[in-house]
Amino acid sequence: MITIEAVSKRFAGPKGEPVDALTPVDLTIPAGQFLSIVGPSGCGKSTLLRIIAGLETPSDGKLTIAATGVARPIGFVFQEPVLLPWLSTLANIRFPLDTGGVPRDQADATAHRLIKMVGLQGFEDALPHQLSGGMRQRAAIARALSYDPPILLMDEPFGALDLLTRDRMNDELLQIWRETKKTIVFVTHSVEEAAYLSDRVVVMSARPGRVRAIHDVDLPHPRGEATKLDPRFHQFMATFRRELK
Amino acid sequence: MSEAAVAVPLVPRRVPPIVDHLAGIVAIVIAWQVYVTATDAPAYMLPAPGAVGGALADLAISGALWRDLGFTFGNVVFGLVLGALAGFALGFVLAKSPTLERWLDGPILLLQTAPKIALAPLFVIWFGFGTTSKIVLIVSLVLFPVLVATIVGLRGVPQNALELARILKLTTWQRLMRVELPMALPEIFIGLRIGAVQAVVGAILGEWMSGKLGLGHLMTFASATYKTPLLFAAVLLTVALGIAVHVSLEAAERRLLRWKQ
Repeated sequence: MITIEAVSKRFAGPKGEPVDALTPVDLTIPAGQFLSIVGPSGCGKSTLLRIIAGLETPSDGKLTIAATGVARPIGFVFQEPVLLPWLSTLANIRFPLDTGGVPRDQADATAHRLIKMVGLQGFEDALPHQLSGGMRQRAAIARALSYDPPILLMDEPFGALDLLTRDRMNDELLQIWRETKKTIVFVTHSVEEAAYLSDRVVVMSARPGRVRAIHDVDLPHPRGEATKLDPRFHQFMATFRRELK
Repeated sequence: MSEAAVAVPLVPRRVPPIVDHLAGIVAIVIAWQVYVTATDAPAYMLPAPGAVGGALADLAISGALWRDLGFTFGNVVFGLVLGALAGFALGFVLAKSPTLERWLDGPILLLQTAPKIALAPLFVIWFGFGTTSKIVLIVSLVLFPVLVATIVGLRGVPQNALELARILKLTTWQRLMRVELPMALPEIFIGLRIGAVQAVVGAILGEWMSGKLGLGHLMTFASATYKTPLLFAAVLLTVALGIAVHVSLEAAERRLLRWKQ
């Protein structure tokens, strides 16, 4: 469970004046929930995600991550797949395990299982520059899953992909979520992606960055082509879009 | 007309580059021999290629070749390794500590631009006529290019790679060895290549000034005694040494940076 209490972030502006990147946010994310944060650029959605990840410290407020007994509770998928260019696909996926003291054969077994899960069989020995953008992002997701963190944070992970690949990646992500029961916090600027993937959607607006509305998306699971034909799916999208204006 | 008959190779077929290199060298040696024969140049001014070859053979037979070449080569390698390690360590510290870098920026610029060659006599006074002063000179020549390259390389490590290291809770050592060092390696190799050239220069120079060993000493000895064929032989050995260092560094780079294609 992730508890965010009155967390805010203030930057120094170009003339040294304080700029509110994020006005105080209160949010509780129960374990196993798929939560999306949707908003225009500059609304602080990435800042909020990076605060949860511990990559930024909040200017004020309190963040609690209940994940006892886990050395590395967070998996993070960046906007661009941050693969190490000198490591093969397999070694990139194994990297967290290699640096976490997991025995070699065990790490290999996990990496091979994940390769299959994200559909990269046959590319185990390929270097990142030999993979397409979608394949690289899948490898990055597999790496984030390799050490089995209870929380997966994703910062517009499919933003750079074409629509077809993006749709496929969304379905793969939902399947991974169903299989692993992880808490997922997913940042996007696409209302469709947010409505399709999430249990709950946080709509944010910019200048100053703040939470505009929070919605429970009670569309049935598993989701698929039928979901996209559901009139309520389109209602959710219309609501989010209205709130973004 | 068939397809194959139409196809004309865009680039004419060529012999391997090594053949071109050798052909060039052979041409120069022939021209050299012709010039010596035609002008009847005295051997102490310009010895014939055969005389230089003879001097080389004499060196090899007497064992001096291996002793002097080995001494210089050993100093170059040792100084290069030591200078590279020191340059990398210092570069790492400076890249990680902006305060320290601000303080040391001036002194480092001063030392970097100062001709180290000018310090060579001072090193002899400080560290004696033996190997130490020679190594110190080589290290001082190698250190700065590697240091600057390391700082540039580490500065260029993408922010998100460092954030990945934080998410994965890597130790400082793990982050350095498994993320930052490999990322900075292409830049570091640029510094190393400059350093390697300097290392050979430094080794020879150090031997000119003091001591009774090495290719540099062989040169000053040959020059002082008008043994010009021997001088030519020593120069050739220096060239060979420089090429050997360059080629091995390039091989290491090709191996370590294979992922860059």
